[in-house]
Amino acid sequence: MAHQILWKSSFVVRLGRFISSSSPSFFHLPLYSLSSSSCFLKVHPIPTLSSTTTRRRNNCIWFQQQQLHDRHSFLWCSKYSTTRACVDTEIEGLGKGYLELTDEELTRQCKMDTLKSSGPGGQHRNKRESAVRLKHLPTGIIAQASEDRSQHRNRASALTRLRALIALKVRNTVDLEAYSPPQELLQILPAKSSIRGSDCGPQIGPKNPKFLLGMQALLDLIFAVEGSISEAAKFLGLTTGALSRLILSDDSLRMAVNELRASKGMKPLK
Amino acid sequence: MKLSLGSLYRPSRFPLLLKSYPISRSRRSFCVSSLSSPETSLKPQIPLFLRPPIYSTTLSDLRKWHDWAESLASSVGSTFEKSDNGPDSSLLCRELKWLLEDAVEDHTLVSQMGVENDRRVRMRAHVDELYNLWKQRIQERRPFQYVVGCEHWRDLVLSVQEGVLIPRPETERIVDFVSDVVSKDQELKRGVWADLGTGSGALGIGISRILGSEGRVIATDLSRVAIAVASYNVHRYGLKDIIEIREGSWFEPLKGLEGKLAGLVSNPPYIPSKDISGLQAEVGRHEPRVALDGGVDGMDALLHLCDGAALMLKPGGFFAFETNGEQHCRALVDYMENNKSGSFCNFEIIPDFAGIERFVTGFHGKAI
Ligand SMILES: C[S@@+](CC[C@H](N)C(=O)[O-])C[C@H]1O[C@@H](n2cnc3c(N)ncnc32)[C@H](O)[C@@H]1O
Repeated sequence: MAHQILWKSSFVVRLGRFISSSSPSFFHLPLYSLSSSSCFLKVHPIPTLSSTTTRRRNNCIWFQQQQLHDRHSFLWCSKYSTTRACVDTEIEGLGKGYLELTDEELTRQCKMDTLKSSGPGGQHRNKRESAVRLKHLPTGIIAQASEDRSQHRNRASALTRLRALIALKVRNTVDLEAYSPPQELLQILPAKSSIRGSDCGPQIGPKNPKFLLGMQALLDLIFAVEGSISEAAKFLGLTTGALSRLILSDDSLRMAVNELRASKGMKPLK
Repeated sequence: MKLSLGSLYRPSRFPLLLKSYPISRSRRSFCVSSLSSPETSLKPQIPLFLRPPIYSTTLSDLRKWHDWAESLASSVGSTFEKSDNGPDSSLLCRELKWLLEDAVEDHTLVSQMGVENDRRVRMRAHVDELYNLWKQRIQERRPFQYVVGCEHWRDLVLSVQEGVLIPRPETERIVDFVSDVVSKDQELKRGVWADLGTGSGALGIGISRILGSEGRVIATDLSRVAIAVASYNVHRYGLKDIIEIREGSWFEPLKGLEGKLAGLVSNPPYIPSKDISGLQAEVGRHEPRVALDGGVDGMDALLHLCDGAALMLKPGGFFAFETNGEQHCRALVDYMENNKSGSFCNFEIIPDFAGIERFVTGFHGKAI
């Protein structure tokens, strides 16, 4: 409770019960305009909140913020690399790339703070302020955790939440003309998918941390087909029903899809 | 004995843990009396959450206690905060929740406290004891961690008691530094590390778990209570083969290891003597002065540690010290550059998560 009072930040995404959360602020993510100096990766200017146009700066990655709904926003991340100089950052800068980073690498892209400290801290202080807030600088996504008694554990939970949020919020552009589902997406599909080879191994479920990567790729596709489940199903060799069931198997995935559908005036999946 | 974290958090497994630690027959009576007495004791006390659930109470009596405790906490408002930067009522209420977690065997039942309920719950302390404990917390400002006998630090739950410093979240970082360093240098990982002024054993234990079975850590302290508590914690985490606890002042217990240490870490007392009287009551009135008071400018121990590090570390050896803040960090680096010129290299001053420059790290210069 204390952290809410002290932080007073309406931007903070609170995901105490991430998976089942239905709080109205759930999808309200801030897009911070970062000054390039505060930004870990030099390549991420983020257009102002109202901007819906894509602007190209002297870098290879840009974000477009789509105002899909009053309080709903997504972050677009696309890569058009042309110059050699971009190569290093590309790997880390890709939306999917964030999720492929190790915990340490991802943490390095974040600014972590605890509660605003007053006074000298350290040995002077006994306050059990163990809440942790992670701000992912390239995307501005914030995750926090405060439910545990140790800062270390809160940091780990915040990082897990950050990964889930990245999967849900950072969209990669998909070229539908030449689309073939990436391996991590194939792995979360049910075995009956006609394009899923047996080399994919058993289906990865929502509890597996690897599910996030597949979920992100699935959302990328569903966004590319503007929320049409039947369209997306065709690309995945599934029936519409089978894809719906997959989407409904994970609450956060379902909510993200339904939010998109709502913005397009489509009925929610149930 | 290997402990998984899961088992540490699952009350049903606790009796198992207890068995592996030799406990005298009189433990029960000892615990009960010692729980209330803030006297320092040489005997390690069992944290509340590890005690057997031999008491029981009705949910409605538990609720009565809880309501009383909550109103006591609320009555504090922000008075402690204003007087010495102590906890406000919302923090105290959070602690109350944790106290319940530690005291009640099955805390899923706690949510049913709301209803009038004669159902009995099993407890690790008598309800009367809970009244006492909470009074101590509020009226005497006894630190919450001494009340429950433990502190959650990194992924560990360490036993603490009067006479031993409660490990601070800031200090957790030092283990990260060590982890970074040994991941780049296997030789350091296999070497001998020292944690001087180990207190509850926090740093020593954190580091042993990073080093794994190949490493060795010597953790020292001057305080006998600290030695007892650190040994208890080492035992509980099954690290007896990796950490050795030695009693004595700073480097004295390390005789014979000159030029052999792969790493040296310490969070020594660093508060300037004149600041001790103004400390938050939980700290100033209850934590041991020997763990806090760093002399006139707070640097007595830190400077001594720098001198010793130059002697004890092997070439390429790593050190990390926690300090009082920016001034200390700069002064230490100055001291090492000017007075120990050539002994150390690659200094870094690293801030804590609140942004205060807190740590100095570096390496012992390679021998010529
Ligand atoms: C600030 S506490 C740190 C305890 C523990 N390392 C931690 O971080 O939680 C400082 C410790 O140094 C110990 N100490 C004080 N003087 C000492 C000395 N001369 N030799 C060894 N240890 C000493 C104290 O007993 C205390 O445990």
